[in-house]
Amino acid sequence: VRCQHSPPLRALQASAVLRRASDEHKKEPLTSSSQQHFDSPPAGHQPEEEPQGPHSSYTGQGGQESEDYESEEQLQHRILTAALEFVPEHGWTAEAIAEGAKTLGLSVAAAGMFHSDGSELILHFVSECNTKLSKLLEKEQKLVQLGEAEKKPIDEFLRHAVEARLRMLIPYIEKWPQALSVLLLPRNIPSSLNLLTSMIDDIWHYAGDQSTDFNWYTRRAVLTGIYNTTELVMMQDSSPDFEDTWRFLENRVADAMTMSNTASQVQSTGEAVVQGLMGAAVTVSNAETSRAVR
Amino acid sequence: VWVCRCHCRVLLSRTAGRLRARRGLATGPETHFGFQTVTEEERREKIYRVFESVAKKYDVMNDSMTLGIHRVWKDILMHKMNPSPGTLLLDVAGGTGDIAFRFINYVCSVRERQLQRKLKHHQNLSWQEIFESYQKDKFNSLGDSQVVVCDINREMLKVGKQKAQHLGYCEGLSWVLGNAEELPFDNDKFDVYTIAFGIRNVTRIDLALQEAYRVLKPGGRFLCLEFSHVSNPLLSRLYDLYSFQVIPVLGEVIAGDWKSYQYLVESIRRFPPQEELKAMIEDAGFFKVDYENLNFGVVAIHSGFKL
Repeated sequence: VRCQHSPPLRALQASAVLRRASDEHKKEPLTSSSQQHFDSPPAGHQPEEEPQGPHSSYTGQGGQESEDYESEEQLQHRILTAALEFVPEHGWTAEAIAEGAKTLGLSVAAAGMFHSDGSELILHFVSECNTKLSKLLEKEQKLVQLGEAEKKPIDEFLRHAVEARLRMLIPYIEKWPQALSVLLLPRNIPSSLNLLTSMIDDIWHYAGDQSTDFNWYTRRAVLTGIYNTTELVMMQDSSPDFEDTWRFLENRVADAMTMSNTASQVQSTGEAVVQGLMGAAVTVSNAETSRAVR
Repeated sequence: VWVCRCHCRVLLSRTAGRLRARRGLATGPETHFGFQTVTEEERREKIYRVFESVAKKYDVMNDSMTLGIHRVWKDILMHKMNPSPGTLLLDVAGGTGDIAFRFINYVCSVRERQLQRKLKHHQNLSWQEIFESYQKDKFNSLGDSQVVVCDINREMLKVGKQKAQHLGYCEGLSWVLGNAEELPFDNDKFDVYTIAFGIRNVTRIDLALQEAYRVLKPGGRFLCLEFSHVSNPLLSRLYDLYSFQVIPVLGEVIAGDWKSYQYLVESIRRFPPQEELKAMIEDAGFFKVDYENLNFGVVAIHSGFKL
């Protein structure tokens, strides 16, 4: 038995957190409007208007979307971001998420929205780091385009990008091994692999098309290998400011460069050899025919 | 034969209802009591009497009817809740305290692990500091968690309190007499609201859900453990057979009360199925409402958040 309660009853409830977007569940626009949070800026609730504000998440039916409602996903993002500050103490766990929810004024039970092994928190963190890296590389690219900075040679660029990305792990370095193991759970592998490959692609994109004679897959695989091995070295590094890690990174990138040169050398040598063989074959066949003719 | 009996009773009660209306007797809004049709007031009274009479044998009957599986269901509910120390739980229709005791056990063990981890961190404290931390934590084994058990039925609460004493639970427990449709608590008080095998007995479920929304803090969680509908047709037939043939007999043999257990199995059939209950919970204002079937739908856990 489904009951429609009178909207005025619900209007009294000020949801302290979620500035709710009207969604598929709510049939009455009035019901959802009375549930809104009244702290929001005076732009307020416009049930019939269409303009898609920067914060609106998705369109309800009939354009019942209001500009400054946030969705559950956005709230979850906020909680996870707030939870990051408690990770050094509690690890990547539901406890950290509970503490994060507390700082937003929510009950600790809100951590129940997420998995109890902290997967979402880790994936959220990785995704945020990748976004930060993209922004950083984009900024630097703009500087180069404006002529305010010099374009880096490819190996220096790769080193710089990987180091910048790995440095973002430093505040959480103690608990990062735990995070890595959670990311390797079968359930999380699709998402974590996705994040990893898109980050690597990003780096290559901003590296520009300084050709190194690799094809696209090889480039991806090489940089993924460099990144993963450097990350593992970083876990065990106790040198001041992780100098050993950066030196390891330098060596690996240098190796990759040499490998590319060797590959192109091998290729041209290979071509030369093939040509030589072809030439020899032609000569031999000519010699045969001329002998036959004679 | 028994199925016939049930149908007959339905027919009889329906005519009785109509007769009542024709005679102009006080009718009030009509609802169901098992397969009978009664007014809301009558329903509340009848249910009160049912639980008054079963209170003492409630736990024994639970064990025999569900072959002890109800303990597993309640454990799963607790794991799903995953409460951290400092959580304030309201257990409505919590009668004999099963959920409350499990909550206390869970929170205590989490707290112990927390303390152990804290100790491992602080490897170079002075003896004075260690002593002080022991003092502080010894008197805080629950980590400030609390559970309030609320029930409409005095007898059930009495049994619960006796059980608590017997099992040695004293800290962090309170027992309150109250109606789920009109809770005697202020707004925004609790972190988690649970109702285990109780919402079926509430006459106005929508009111209970609204009250749940009211007393929960923002971010708080609503959890409902209840018998639900089995969709698999073969299992459903077996389940019906078991419910209508075995359970009332057990009720008579063990508790000496056939009618109450007849009411029990009928009320399960009358309760809305999973999707409908989910819609009702969303109507009350909860978000991220979801349910988990246990034992193919014999029991379902519904969860929602006040956001």
